[in-house]
Amino acid sequence: MSLSRRDFFKRSAALGGGVAIGIHLTGCGGEPPYPGTTADELRPNAFLQVRPDGVVVFQLPRAEMGQGVYTGLTTLAAEELNLPATDIVVEHAYYHPDFRDPEFQMMMTGGSVSLRNNFTAIRQAGANLRELMRQAAAKQWGGGTDMLSVENGMVYNANGDSFSFAELVETARNLTPPEAAPLKSAEDFTQIGRDGVRLDALAKVTGTATFGIDCNLPGSKTAVMRRCPHLGGRVKSFDDSGAKAIKGVSAIFETNGGVAVVADGYWAARKAADALDIIWDKGPLAGLDEKGLRAHHTALLKEEGRNISEEGDAALATGERFEVTYQAPMLSHSPMEPPNALVNVVADRVEIWTGTQVPDTVIGVVAAALERPREQIVVHNQMLGGGFGRRLVPDYIVEAARISEKTGTPIKMVWSREDDIQHDYYRPAATTVMAATLDKGKVTSITAKTVVPSIMSQLMPMFAAASMPEWLPPAIPRSLGGLLKHVDSTMAEGISHTDYRFPYMKVDAVHDDTPIPVGFWRSVGHSQNAFFTESFIDELAHRVGEDPVAFRMQHMPTDSKRYGVLKMAAEKASWGQTEPGQYQGVAAHESFHTSVAQVVTASVENGAIRVHKVVCVVDCGLAVNPDVVKSQMESGIVFGLTAALKSGITLEDGRVMQSNFHDYPMLTLAETPEIEIHIMPSQEAPTGVGEPGLPPVAPALANAVFAATGQRLRDLPLKLA
Amino acid sequence: MAEIAFTLNGREQRVDVEPDTPLLWVVREQFELTGTKFGCGKGLCGACTVHMDGYAIRSCSFPVSAAAGRDIRTIEGISPDITQLHPVQQVWLENSVPQCGYCQSGQIMAAVALLERNNNPSDEEINSAMSNICRCGTYPRIRTAVKQAASLVRQDGAVSIVDPVVTKAQEVSA
Ligand code: FES
Ligand code: FES
Repeated sequence: MSLSRRDFFKRSAALGGGVAIGIHLTGCGGEPPYPGTTADELRPNAFLQVRPDGVVVFQLPRAEMGQGVYTGLTTLAAEELNLPATDIVVEHAYYHPDFRDPEFQMMMTGGSVSLRNNFTAIRQAGANLRELMRQAAAKQWGGGTDMLSVENGMVYNANGDSFSFAELVETARNLTPPEAAPLKSAEDFTQIGRDGVRLDALAKVTGTATFGIDCNLPGSKTAVMRRCPHLGGRVKSFDDSGAKAIKGVSAIFETNGGVAVVADGYWAARKAADALDIIWDKGPLAGLDEKGLRAHHTALLKEEGRNISEEGDAALATGERFEVTYQAPMLSHSPMEPPNALVNVVADRVEIWTGTQVPDTVIGVVAAALERPREQIVVHNQMLGGGFGRRLVPDYIVEAARISEKTGTPIKMVWSREDDIQHDYYRPAATTVMAATLDKGKVTSITAKTVVPSIMSQLMPMFAAASMPEWLPPAIPRSLGGLLKHVDSTMAEGISHTDYRFPYMKVDAVHDDTPIPVGFWRSVGHSQNAFFTESFIDELAHRVGEDPVAFRMQHMPTDSKRYGVLKMAAEKASWGQTEPGQYQGVAAHESFHTSVAQVVTASVENGAIRVHKVVCVVDCGLAVNPDVVKSQMESGIVFGLTAALKSGITLEDGRVMQSNFHDYPMLTLAETPEIEIHIMPSQEAPTGVGEPGLPPVAPALANAVFAATGQRLRDLPLKLA
Repeated sequence: MAEIAFTLNGREQRVDVEPDTPLLWVVREQFELTGTKFGCGKGLCGACTVHMDGYAIRSCSFPVSAAAGRDIRTIEGISPDITQLHPVQQVWLENSVPQCGYCQSGQIMAAVALLERNNNPSDEEINSAMSNICRCGTYPRIRTAVKQAASLVRQDGAVSIVDPVVTKAQEVSA
């Protein structure tokens, strides 16, 4: 079995949205049985089962991290089953190949694909189960299925007789499940398209929802780690005499490049860790600071880079050249629940309780780290206290697994907020030169060159290790990372392939091959590239003396989704009319197949930027649960405003200078503007909503600040001169 | 180690722990009440908010020794069970406030403490009382929910906190 370079490129290129891909090389053996099924249950497919008591269980194939899949995906099955979603028991699915995302070929939550890529599959599973229950009832009645209907966990015949699902389970188990039962048509939907309640809300308002950090095992010990504060460095030597004296400490040893403390409970472990005296080998980034990073990017801008896209004729780029440089800093994900994992390594089994976006990868990397077969690794996924891409990297789980293996006890590894902010896989820093030519009041070209690390080339070896066959020499997955810097679509996504039309357009990317750990941060490349593009378009509108909305509309096809949301946003926000002292800015961006336009109203008071209102229009195809779509837009806007106004990870001597929410602050309720969301009516298949609300807000705000002050802020976070 | 006695969700409790242990870890580890969350450990985010004598405190930065003799209440202690929600929980549910949900116990505890003192808070009062961080950005809904809860409380009189059924962890430790 081999993966040709060409296949590999094809799959990588199909990424579009941008989050990690897996390379899954299917073996020749049969598929394993579905986990979590008992002998007396009906389990016609991976997603759905019916218990002997007739209760329908939905195996949630994606991680719930706030984005609403717990509700949205369950609704899909519920719709076809004619069963209220609230009557379905939802379980976090254990890893099984059938839960792999068809696009990414791994069991992964990211790329805003959960609804898009499951919309048909889960409805089909529901429809197949509905059909199976009809067939079982027909068999029990000794007739055909024609007049049988399914409603609320019952099958009815024309006479009004009924069987409950419980009465049908036994018969159904002996039938061959249908595979292509007809799906309901959109006019018949009673749950899809409605504001159903969030199915996870009750547990979350009563404190009973279980997150990874809430899991426990009898006899478990708490572990915390001291990791080298200089990124990529490791421990040289340490003195644990003070730490050992702390009551409750049971072990201190070097592991994973740092020092682990194992103790009874978090507080003892943390106190002991703080008491360690460690000498660090600062590693490859020693000496690197912000100035160095920027100088490095400036030098890389001189390189030719790789062409990402080129449209039109270079000869048409006539007139005067206008060129500016934009920058975006590194960012930390900082999900509210710090990374943590409970791992129990025993003779023939490794059990893991945690919140992860990639159960598949967890199994692969833990198996590799402990040199065990994958079949021994079990991931009990939990609610995620935020993901945003952080939980695509299972470093914290591997740490816990190694410590549990060494101590022979169940280990509960808990990161502090400081650990989290200083040891993230950061949104990479990017520097982009945006340029245009202007001829007699017309923009004749736009070109861009961005310098940015390739997330794919850093993280691909890890994802590959998870799904490559075990016989493959370890050097092969590693070498994939090298290939990927040439094809990583996340680098320029959102600068290239926009809807804008100018006589000549070209985008180049230069790979910053940095050892700084980088990762997928909510909306990935779009998070910075929308800022560059939509700010620059605004600059051009002002240069040619056009209204920013009108200018955008002139330069994009009227039938594009982006045009549609932009037009509607301008209307809903009463573009051009504001209170005295307040100013509007606009941006429209497409990411993850969803278009979002936002109009931000802001003012500048006592030298500070104040955001009053954000009007947001989203076209995400059919909104399966409009209220969840709205909450995801609100979420993306707040997340994006935090980045636009507050956040930046900076380095000194290769070490992250921020450590907790006092110096890596978050937007607060008091600073949150009024947010108004409109959903474009659509019958198209659903597209992503977890990420696309974020990219437009920073440029829309920067454009409002320009309107207010005449200052064009080209660096994030936005700081007035 | 020292034995410290306090009231937790309406029941007298005693624990034997290091006196400097933050109340958060005692609640989560000794009493296995995991609704109260760890977010920053420095009093900056409010995920760990509980009530002491009816006031919201950040339990990650509050040594358990200071809780001696006090009345401590956690998210598990504001409603008797999940079929009889506190008005704040009720409006939180109706507005689908939670996203990931991790900060929400703390948010709800902050809101309950606010409304016990002020059943008609202004926007400014909400701003200053609701200073907990939500990385998911549920703030717009929190504001709406606090206002709705306030009007519920005004209609129905005082917020009544009913002692919950005894949890397993409490039985074991009692
Ligand atoms: S965990 Fe206590 S304030 Fe953040
Ligand atoms: S709901 Fe996720 S942090 Fe508030």
